[in-house]
Amino acid sequence: MDLLINLFQGFGYLVGWEPVVAMTVGVILGILVGAMPGLSPSMGVALLVPFTYKMPPQIALILLVSIYIASNYGGSITAVTINTPGTPSAVVTAFDGYPLTQQGRAGEALGISLVASTVGGIIGTIILIFFSVPLASLAVRLHPAEYFALAIFGLTTVASLGGKNWPKAFIAALLGLLINTIGLDPISGVKRFTFGTYRLFDGFALIPALIGLFALSEVFSRLEEFKFDKEKIEADINKTVWPSFIYYWKMKFTIIKTSIIGTLIGIFPGAGATIATFIAYDFTKRGSKDPDSFGKGNPEGVAAAEASNSSSVGGALVPLLALGIPGSATTAVLVGALMIHDLNPGPLLFTERPDIVYSLFASCLVANGIMLALGLMGSRLWIKVTDIPKTVLFPCILAISIIGSFAVNYSFFDVAVCIGFGVAGWILKKFDYPAAPIVLGMVLGNLAETNFRRAVIMGGYPVFFVRPFSVLLLLVSALSLAYPFYQSYRKKKKSAAAGK
Amino acid sequence: MKKLYIVLLILLLSATMVFAGGAKEAPAAKAEPAKAAAPAFPEKPIKLVVYLAPGGAGDILARKFTDVASKYSKATFVVENKPGAGGIVALEHIRAQAADGYNLMYVTKSIVSKVATTETDIDLNKEYEWIAMLQVDPECVITNVKNKAHTWEQIFEDSKAKNGNQLWLGPAAGGLDHVTAQKIWASAGMQAKWVPFDSGAKAIAALLGQQGVVYVGNPAEVKGNPDLKVAAICYSERLPEFKDVPTFKELGVNGVENEVMWRGFAVKAGTPAPVIAWYEDLFAKVSNDADWKKTYESDGIAVVNWKKDKFNKLVADDLAEAKAAAKK
Repeated sequence: MDLLINLFQGFGYLVGWEPVVAMTVGVILGILVGAMPGLSPSMGVALLVPFTYKMPPQIALILLVSIYIASNYGGSITAVTINTPGTPSAVVTAFDGYPLTQQGRAGEALGISLVASTVGGIIGTIILIFFSVPLASLAVRLHPAEYFALAIFGLTTVASLGGKNWPKAFIAALLGLLINTIGLDPISGVKRFTFGTYRLFDGFALIPALIGLFALSEVFSRLEEFKFDKEKIEADINKTVWPSFIYYWKMKFTIIKTSIIGTLIGIFPGAGATIATFIAYDFTKRGSKDPDSFGKGNPEGVAAAEASNSSSVGGALVPLLALGIPGSATTAVLVGALMIHDLNPGPLLFTERPDIVYSLFASCLVANGIMLALGLMGSRLWIKVTDIPKTVLFPCILAISIIGSFAVNYSFFDVAVCIGFGVAGWILKKFDYPAAPIVLGMVLGNLAETNFRRAVIMGGYPVFFVRPFSVLLLLVSALSLAYPFYQSYRKKKKSAAAGK
Repeated sequence: MKKLYIVLLILLLSATMVFAGGAKEAPAAKAEPAKAAAPAFPEKPIKLVVYLAPGGAGDILARKFTDVASKYSKATFVVENKPGAGGIVALEHIRAQAADGYNLMYVTKSIVSKVATTETDIDLNKEYEWIAMLQVDPECVITNVKNKAHTWEQIFEDSKAKNGNQLWLGPAAGGLDHVTAQKIWASAGMQAKWVPFDSGAKAIAALLGQQGVVYVGNPAEVKGNPDLKVAAICYSERLPEFKDVPTFKELGVNGVENEVMWRGFAVKAGTPAPVIAWYEDLFAKVSNDADWKKTYESDGIAVVNWKKDKFNKLVADDLAEAKAAAKK
């Protein structure tokens, strides 16, 4: 009951022009940051932190959290319209979002990504509000062995990602894992494949690699084909069908389930939105009656990806508010923003400054609403991107890719990395190797390696098999890896039997 | 309506007057002959290079510095984040710039540890001028009050019972916190295991989950969380903000009275003396600023102002010590 009264007061703080302006500006900036390849949610928030020094702490937090929320949606816009995920967590959105656009159903894809993001964001916030304390105490109890098992589980999604092409998907994931070994060894500091240059001490940065693999490789292969004509299917945007409420209602269970998955994975410090989207997508695909339609333009794939990455925001705020521990790169920046205002995130914040905490909760809910409103208006604008002649669009993508990869660390080395990955992505594409498993490998490799070694330091090799949750996750991983093989084996047997 | 126009007109006219007043002063300053002879520093914005990603505690300190400095100087500071390889990327960046003072670098003791433990041709003593050390933050041992062992005596007994398998949590191996832990073990005559995490925050999460017994860090890290407690500090005396916390010396552990994290600023070696003098003047004002002091003293940090020579020597000593420790 106290909670509801506090929450009600939290909404009270949002009355007035300042919070409303802060949320609206935050949502607009967030969408732009998300859509711009090279600006990740954490960078978007970090860029705005200096502007919040002189603001009252509530307004500052409302602004920053609004950016965080909206940027996770913004990434889907470019993923759907031009197959270039604006953020790492939108990689999965492109799996089905872009095929939908190619089929002339961009309106559906944009609509579902917006609605799923909003609903996911709200579900994540509700879980945050009501269960933050028990969930946070669960999160800190997770042993490195469990993180390792989670990373392995994430990697098994490759098995279903690849479909029939699974050997190539598997090789791509291994490539991602191998790329991840470049740099200083995270535990002992030994140099691995650094070739004597300090630029490689931290390995390749994810964002330039991502831009190269998706945006540049696309530009390169179009250049090669010299195919700049407008594709017929996307010809008439005036005929775009915007889905109705009933269309979304049909997907309610997918959205709710993947939102819960997204929130839960978001809670674990260090796991994050990208892993959540892969697992949620895999989960939805496996549960679907028509798994083969995924990757070819199934709206449920878009819904799963967007609901899970947006709900992970609520999850990532759980350890931040309940314990003062950042669960993601973006919440790490938020810790800094709190400290500037002499606020120490942690359980005491709830009792010392309930006004801050509850106005933050309330603003998370309202900002999602504002995002829905702005997104509905904006979608009519975003979709025009598909109408830009390719001769104009591709030079723009090239320019944005270069600027975006430079902006990550203000480093020309990163630009070279981006171009390098672009060329590599183009070659891989020619031979039908998918790019997404490389990203998955790069995201999960570090999580798997450091936690494996940490767990061994803490409890020796048996530790993975004595902790129940770790054993369970590893078993599930083994099963999910084996299942597609079993399925194809049975199919073969069936067709063989039918052939007789 | 007319009233509104009149008010607006008055405001507009008075604003014009204020700006006109400012414009009058500017040419007068330029006309001064002394300044024309030796161009005043700074003539353009100064880049403050931070070796950490935006948003972290170190990044905020640098930005706080620019905020406080703006009270005392008209110079414009632009924070430029050059994260990577524990500071080596930023050190390389400074190395590639001109020694004109327009690139000021935020530095901490962990940079020294990083250089000492990494193969690199960077020479911290010869290539950089360490111009101001502004903060001394004692290292300390943090525990979880929910753990059975949370006072130093209990931790010591627990380590004996666990026979070398007691878990100490913290950031990367070879860093300042790890080195401090090793010194504490040697001084106390005990054994334990270091579990390195990706960041201090993640190690604290594990301590809250009772996955280990001790976290090594700085006192301010317990703030906001009632389960965390500072068990002992590596300093010569008790901290005013943490009066109940004993020093290791009081607990009978000798040899760790001065294990501290320091934070300050450096420029490239060869920066002209007048520029350094300008910085020294600014650092003196900032380190005496009430807001600056209040912000950090409440965290148990000693706010100081060590000048060039003393700081250069400190860096040389720390580097030699870290290199000797790394060889072991």
